[in-house]
Amino acid sequence: MLDRPLSPPPVEVIVAVTQALHCEARLLDNEDFDGWLAMLNEDICYRMELKSRRFRADRSPPLPVGPGVIFNEDLGRLKLRVDRLKSGFVWAEDPPNFIRRAISNVEVVARPAENEVRVHSVLIMHRNRIDGTTRVLTAARTDLWRGEGQAWLLAGRDIVLDHSVLPDSNLNAFF
Amino acid sequence: MRFERIGREPDYSRYMDLKEGWLDRRIFSDADIYEEELYRIFARSWLFVAHESQIPKAGDFLTTHMGEDAVIVARQADGSIRVMLNSCPHRGNKVCFADAGNTRRFVCNYHGWAFDTAGDLKGMHEEYCYDNGDIDFKNHGLKNVAKVSSYKGLVFATFNGDAPSLEAWLGDFRWYLDMILDNEEGGTEFIGGCIKSVMSANWKFGVENFIGDAYHAGWTHDSGCRSMNDGMPFPPIDMEYSYHASVNGHGWEFGTEGVGDLVLLGRPKVMDYYNKIRPKMAERLGEMRSKIFGSVASASIFPNVSFLPGISTFRQWQPKGPMQFELKTWVIVNKNMPDDIKEEVTKGVMQTFGPGGTFEMDDGENWENCTTVNRGVVTRHERLHYRCGIGRQIEHDTLPGIVYRGQYNDANQRGFYQRWLDMMTHDEFGKMPTRPEPRLGNVAETRDLPGLFAL
Ligand code: FES
Ligand SMILES: [Fe+2]
Repeated sequence: MLDRPLSPPPVEVIVAVTQALHCEARLLDNEDFDGWLAMLNEDICYRMELKSRRFRADRSPPLPVGPGVIFNEDLGRLKLRVDRLKSGFVWAEDPPNFIRRAISNVEVVARPAENEVRVHSVLIMHRNRIDGTTRVLTAARTDLWRGEGQAWLLAGRDIVLDHSVLPDSNLNAFF
Repeated sequence: MRFERIGREPDYSRYMDLKEGWLDRRIFSDADIYEEELYRIFARSWLFVAHESQIPKAGDFLTTHMGEDAVIVARQADGSIRVMLNSCPHRGNKVCFADAGNTRRFVCNYHGWAFDTAGDLKGMHEEYCYDNGDIDFKNHGLKNVAKVSSYKGLVFATFNGDAPSLEAWLGDFRWYLDMILDNEEGGTEFIGGCIKSVMSANWKFGVENFIGDAYHAGWTHDSGCRSMNDGMPFPPIDMEYSYHASVNGHGWEFGTEGVGDLVLLGRPKVMDYYNKIRPKMAERLGEMRSKIFGSVASASIFPNVSFLPGISTFRQWQPKGPMQFELKTWVIVNKNMPDDIKEEVTKGVMQTFGPGGTFEMDDGENWENCTTVNRGVVTRHERLHYRCGIGRQIEHDTLPGIVYRGQYNDANQRGFYQRWLDMMTHDEFGKMPTRPEPRLGNVAETRDLPGLFAL
């Protein structure tokens, strides 16, 4: 991907955005969902797609709504998910699962607008469920972060899971 | 064609008593029983393999499984569909690794044997190494299944040359199937791709959940329902005018309020759309079915397909060993819907019953733990309770099948396991009982049936 302009964003921006990514992961690991929602921009678009396996030379046209959209959420929908998790009626999360997110390969790329950056990162999610089984998921994320006043807020996230078959029975977590 | 398995032949009837309403837990984890299921159920049933819309053009193909047998489903130049083993007759390697696509040839990675989309062997790398008489091309293609047939867009295949026609296999269940497959001119299509996930659970738990288990929804999905509906729990079920209907192991549980599943989908535009076409639907399918469509409902086709009419998730539980299955899910829409409504349906399905959906997320771990906890040598000998509503069978003037009153019921589950038992114990299809005696007969087109609406 030719996403590498000649000059990188200022070092303070890179540090601030990288810190935001790590902070976000910690909030989610600790189930501080309100703290996480506060890091999201009003017009956030949060998407996840599952890949399908195709021949490199495949001649068929792309599917109209994409190969397997799992999340296609706005802020309202994300809030609804958080409400569900906080409802006290999610039996599969009680006792809680242990989730740990590791973020790496962070690449902050300048955008024409000064208060915006594109951010590539890799997520490894380790999930130890209430029945003792452990699942590990990896994903690539392409984000849009926007500087609003004092803070950088997440305005867009495209998640591509590195699995053609989901190795778990649900995706009861934010990525 | 019969596929024999050498081994013990236990009396499967001791694993259940459906008149009493109990099952033995071993059918959900025992490796020998599972092997026997592959022979007696998956190698002999009509199995769903594709929706016609997934492979519209010549050369379109997809790969899937029939039981644990890998198969390729491919559209031919003449418009017909072939289903063949995805395994090379040379050394057995898998021939096609793509999920789907369009091609002229399938070429094996190992020695380069090449097959056309009908499975015929067309050539190979260094063909000169075979002398005259070494190989008969005609007999070394990809093995085709015994029969392929389709019902209103759904393509089924079977390895069993003795299987009855697909129409007879589905029987009166077609009366119900038409509610999802034929509720509007133009029929249906699958939209978007296939989402696959793997669960450590026995395949039957998925099927039985969709065939009749409305009961779990209010409790399991309490959190999802409340978050979607301003904190309100599931509304109470009308036990008087809701039903279970079972036909040859297929089953549909449903209310007659017309809106429940459409509310759960959470997309008002889709609700409006169906309300708009409902009068036409009533002309097409009759008053009763136009009232059932959209109600809280779920259904399964024996042995391993399920769907939610109204919510439009369509799925298949592919067995991968006694304690594992792969779940494949698609979105099914009416072909003639405007694009924005199709998009709304897709969004709604993913938000409710995709793997990250607010309802779906609650189910998987229940099925996994129903399966794995039964490993205990003492636990596995305990019986499970399937007696709910056992005295509520009724005769209904309009509804075909074995009908029970009250949506909270184990009746369809009992019907499913009855068919399971019939297949596990009968060597010959012809001797297997039809449950119940069909009203529709074995005609191909259900909509044109004389007197259908009077049924
Ligand atoms: S195994 Fe396929 S060509 Fe040899
Ligand atoms: Fe459920």
